[in-house]
Amino acid sequence: MKGMVADIQRTSVHDGPGLRTTVFLKGCNMRCAWCHNPETLQSKQEIIYYAEKCIHCGKCEEGCYTGARVLCGKEYRAEEILDIVEEDRVYYGKSGGMTVSGGEPSAQPEFLLEIVKEAKKRDINVGIETNFSMDLDIYQELLPYIDCWMVDIKIYDEEKHQRYTGISNKKILSNIRKLDPYLKCGLIIRTPVIEGVNSEKEELKKIAGFAGSLKNLWYYELLPYHPLGLSKQTESSKDMKRFETPNKEKLKKYAEEFGRIYQMKVKISNISV
Amino acid sequence: MNYRERIRILRDKKIKDTLEKRKQKGYMDLDDNGGVAVPDDFSFTPVSNSSDGGFYGAVGFSVNMAKLADAHPVYVDPLEILAGRRMVMLLDYQGGWPGKWPDHLMPYDGLKKELDEYDIISGIGSNQHYACDYQIGISLGYHGLIQKIRHYRKKNGKEKYEFYDAHERVLRALLRLIERHIDEISFKISVEENEEIRENLKEMLECNKNILTAPPKTFLEVCQWLGWFYQVSWMYNREGAGMQIDQFLYPFYKKDKEEGRLDDEKATFILADLLLLNPNYYQLSGPDENGNDMTNELSFLVLRAAHWLNSSANITIRIHDKINEELLKKGVEYLFKDGNGWPRFSGDKGLMNYARNENVTRKMAVERIAVGCNWMALPGREYPLNDCVKINVAKVFDIAYHEMMNGEDYSMDILWKKFVCHLERGVDITARGINFHLDNMHKHMPELWGNLLMHNAIEQGVDMTLSAEFVNIGVDGAGIAVVADSFAALEQRVVKDRCLSWKEIYDAILADFKGENKRIQQILSHSEKYCQGKGLGDKWADKVNREFTKQIKEKKMPKNRILIPGWFSWANTIGLGKKVGATPNGRKAGEPINHGANPNAGFRKDGAATAMSNGIAMVQPGFGNPAPFQLELDPGIGMEDGGVERIMDLIRGHFEKGGTLINVNIVNKEKIFAAHKDPELYPDLVVRVTGFTSYFITLSPEFRKLVVDRMIDTI
Repeated sequence: MKGMVADIQRTSVHDGPGLRTTVFLKGCNMRCAWCHNPETLQSKQEIIYYAEKCIHCGKCEEGCYTGARVLCGKEYRAEEILDIVEEDRVYYGKSGGMTVSGGEPSAQPEFLLEIVKEAKKRDINVGIETNFSMDLDIYQELLPYIDCWMVDIKIYDEEKHQRYTGISNKKILSNIRKLDPYLKCGLIIRTPVIEGVNSEKEELKKIAGFAGSLKNLWYYELLPYHPLGLSKQTESSKDMKRFETPNKEKLKKYAEEFGRIYQMKVKISNISV
Repeated sequence: MNYRERIRILRDKKIKDTLEKRKQKGYMDLDDNGGVAVPDDFSFTPVSNSSDGGFYGAVGFSVNMAKLADAHPVYVDPLEILAGRRMVMLLDYQGGWPGKWPDHLMPYDGLKKELDEYDIISGIGSNQHYACDYQIGISLGYHGLIQKIRHYRKKNGKEKYEFYDAHERVLRALLRLIERHIDEISFKISVEENEEIRENLKEMLECNKNILTAPPKTFLEVCQWLGWFYQVSWMYNREGAGMQIDQFLYPFYKKDKEEGRLDDEKATFILADLLLLNPNYYQLSGPDENGNDMTNELSFLVLRAAHWLNSSANITIRIHDKINEELLKKGVEYLFKDGNGWPRFSGDKGLMNYARNENVTRKMAVERIAVGCNWMALPGREYPLNDCVKINVAKVFDIAYHEMMNGEDYSMDILWKKFVCHLERGVDITARGINFHLDNMHKHMPELWGNLLMHNAIEQGVDMTLSAEFVNIGVDGAGIAVVADSFAALEQRVVKDRCLSWKEIYDAILADFKGENKRIQQILSHSEKYCQGKGLGDKWADKVNREFTKQIKEKKMPKNRILIPGWFSWANTIGLGKKVGATPNGRKAGEPINHGANPNAGFRKDGAATAMSNGIAMVQPGFGNPAPFQLELDPGIGMEDGGVERIMDLIRGHFEKGGTLINVNIVNKEKIFAAHKDPELYPDLVVRVTGFTSYFITLSPEFRKLVVDRMIDTI
């Protein structure tokens, strides 16, 4: 079968341990107001528009060669993806490999399963960045093939979660809790910290407390907001908003405190505090 | 004051000295040589032995070298442990490196026209670029070397007297220079009130007295011995090749430690002082003949010394399957911690391909060490002239392309055939230039200093250019990415997509992509590129590399001479680019060509370092001369958990794929842009320009731009 892929990024250093090749699948069931990758929201092909690169030549239909209009989305088979992933096998060392990201990778569950199975067949370390919001059985099926789970808990308060992401977090928290005992390989809980949304200590502390109670937590990571997504204009990006960047010193203090209270490793943007 | 504090003071002084030197000499687009400004009252006028006012030959160079050494100011800093410092270079009195070729005595007008046509850097008149066998020197000592010269002078007869007398003249000048330093140290002891500093000076004095009359016996003595040898090497012709320093110094280190004369703090201090005086090219670790790792305590101490000094350095760690992981890790950590572009890393697997050359054994491939910008040499046995000969393949393509477009038939096949044909002419004229150089250089400028530590030269009374056991001349190609991307763009846009015609593109190129042709430039520059991975760019890069390698290797040379291919532009990307018109990859006329084996900027939107690594590993010519991987990294990576390990994986991966050399810059983009605007704000910023490191502030705006322009996102 074929799946819709937004991009395959090599030499990824922020999508799990080691050097990795990150496969961004298209389609997401959330609509986070701060989304970094708005081009991955829809499951179909779409045009990303980079306004700063447009020279207003008026020849869009003949093809854009300034990089202002870029087609996002290409169909791949799992084998084709892994062929690309294997080009960098020699750099993966002991901990690197492939990470499947999105969008929400589990929004294409069958294709996702094919990819990770193919990766395991080829002895490639597999990481996944997911919101864990789909049906539990999707993740249960993935279990044998995933080496590193990177799961976002964006907001603890359910109503607020619904407001800012478009869905409830009830299933997310429940799925994490249910699957935790089986994630023997390691679980990273991450929170994108958005000023004015979830950057207050009490909000973050609830997520940290939840993370700290997990049996197989590897570490908890805070990811301060950056406005990268705003530079990419797509059909879906019109609802996105610009937020303030959270104060890093403040976050560092919180992170240190959470680490102490919940006896867990806490990082900010992949740097241990 | 402890050793670390002393080095910290010396580092600050070096930064001030560098600023003063820049004021005195202007921009210095070269390696940081560790030299200091010469006193204002210094004067030296060379004597001429030729009708054009220059000085040539063994007599001309030796007499002037001796005069310069005698006039050279003494330099003794009581905080240091080694005496002497570089200040002036003889070739500065001949117009700067490589000096002036005596056209009136040895003309080569017949070659010049063709060399110019293909924009070939011929190497004619280039000097140094080999490695000495320092074992010869330290086993004999300076006096022993004089005895050796006299022995063979007597043995080889009158017609060799000029050769031997010239070598002895220079050697004796060094001894006088050391003697003057001994006087200066003695004087400084007599006026020094601080007991600790006086003791330090006494040790420096004893050391210098000892090596004046006998081979070095201690760790300190061997370092001072090297310090003097390096100083004269540089004064003569800017020679900066070092050695496998951890192995070479180890017996002295071990003996001194066993006998209680040395501890690691002092050894680090002495090494840091040696690096301060002579930031030469040194190699660490690597395998021995049996594949066992050669890392020892000194490998770590050399890195530590460079870290203490926290300045420019040219240290290469040779990576192999059994490399000490801690050493590799330490090296990467220092790369990030100090951000000075050192160490570099060389890949044993790719370098062992040197054994594929005629008459070269595996043992020799192991012993061939990294001692230059991009290059390796077999100490004492090989005259490689590496990094001095360049074929601008972008220019070759330019000629072939215009020739085809001025005809009536256009196709990829015709263009390729014309490229191959012009490359053959380029290689042929390059080979003729090399032979001219080798046949005549000894009459112009014999290697009066390096010959002392080369096998055969003193024994035979013949300059190394003619007597070296191996004359394996490195011929580097430059501009591979421009050529590959140009072929790829034409194939993609004319043959496959059919969105542009041969004529349309040619008209745009003749107009240098100006006016209405801008869109054609955009289409071309968005074509597939070298280092994207498995695309047209990589296909053509592979083809160009194979052809270049084949032609260089198959070129017949007289005597024991062979040619070895590599890809390296050095910092000539600007100069070589100026001679090349607009190219079908969308590059405008006169713009720089790509750096070394690196791709053109914007080769991938994610700038993936692994994709670049794969591409560069693919275009290794495979005969032991490198096609280096120049990597620019953001300092933030090193701060992240696992960041150092990621870079270790990248390094290991590149070498596993057959890569030969990785040069790394760790520079914050914002900082480098700000420094480019106002270099005075960052007097301590050190960058890796190409194969060499330098203080950013000493570089000309053109060279600074070269570094700034490379700051593409890789990781």
